[in-house]
Amino acid sequence: MTQTVEARRVEERVALTALFFGFLKVSLLGFGGGLVWARRIVVDQQRWLDDQEFAEILTLCQFMPGPNIVGITLCSGSKLRGPLGAVSAVAGFILIPWTVGLAFGSFCLQYAHLPILQNILGGLSSAAAGLMIATGIRLLMPHRSRQTALVFAVLAFTGMVVAKLPLLVVLFGLAPVSIAIAGIASPRAR
Amino acid sequence: MKDPIASLVLAAHLALLSSISFGGFPTVLPDVRNLVTANGWVTDQEFANFFAISQVVPGPNMILMMSFVGLKVGGIPGAITSAFATFGPPCLMYYTSYRLWDRFRDRPWQQMVRRGLAPLTIGLVVAGGYVMARAADTSWQRALVTAAAIGVMLGTRLNPLWILAAGGILGGLGLLTPGE
Repeated sequence: MTQTVEARRVEERVALTALFFGFLKVSLLGFGGGLVWARRIVVDQQRWLDDQEFAEILTLCQFMPGPNIVGITLCSGSKLRGPLGAVSAVAGFILIPWTVGLAFGSFCLQYAHLPILQNILGGLSSAAAGLMIATGIRLLMPHRSRQTALVFAVLAFTGMVVAKLPLLVVLFGLAPVSIAIAGIASPRAR
Repeated sequence: MKDPIASLVLAAHLALLSSISFGGFPTVLPDVRNLVTANGWVTDQEFANFFAISQVVPGPNMILMMSFVGLKVGGIPGAITSAFATFGPPCLMYYTSYRLWDRFRDRPWQQMVRRGLAPLTIGLVVAGGYVMARAADTSWQRALVTAAAIGVMLGTRLNPLWILAAGGILGGLGLLTPGE
């Protein structure tokens, strides 16, 4: 028990197949909350990474474009077994769930015109849209004391929804200003 | 409908969007929707259906949702190119940046960039949810479901799966149908 994760890693390398199936499990369990399952399996169950290593990967992935959970998968695999580990983990995460999901989904979509399925899908998408808005609000909570952060969140929202500007315009128009202001503000705040 | 040129245009667009999708792919959903509906590839209704289905299937939701769009535009090859366009470019960026991460860990500029980008990311996530709500909420009952989902998600630690299921069941019982 006193052995660190680092020491354990030198002794026994994680098998590529273990990475494949580990992240397959993350993928299959992760309805809505993939992150919860990623941490549970990688840190608690398999003890591939410790909490600090996992937190570091999470920060990096949040700061990068793309599906964060795929990034967490890739970086964990890469940390444990290099390029091959990254490929095994991502393949485990995507390959089987994607194939099954596409087949199952296409089957359902063939009957999407049926009133009952239309109603179910309608209710689902209303709820799913609410979950997404709630996730955004959750993410905003740590920043609520920074007024400039709130202003830029509102500006980004308005740019997309009200002004209907393309994403590239919103992102590259606001990012330099937002980063510059964060840079000016941070030395004073600390 | 199975147009290889359209598939390539879609894949190129998705590859570009996935490369700038700070905060996850939901942030670029409004842009994808504009592209596919403006070209007449997918209707608003179909887009909302793809979103709903991909949310209830476990696994890589957004990759799957873009694959449904690709499937509609270009069949199985379209689905595969869409999937790769959605996760390929970010994977390359994750991999290279992860290797650089250690070298620049404590630099002040990195913290500055992170603090500057975070609020934009968040605004975009909320905008993505709002656009989907506008497409999905065709009746006040459905708008109520969206509002309730926000409230329950923020106020409780309930598994989001139950919230989705509740929305689906209410819909299936015909309680959310817009008045004719």
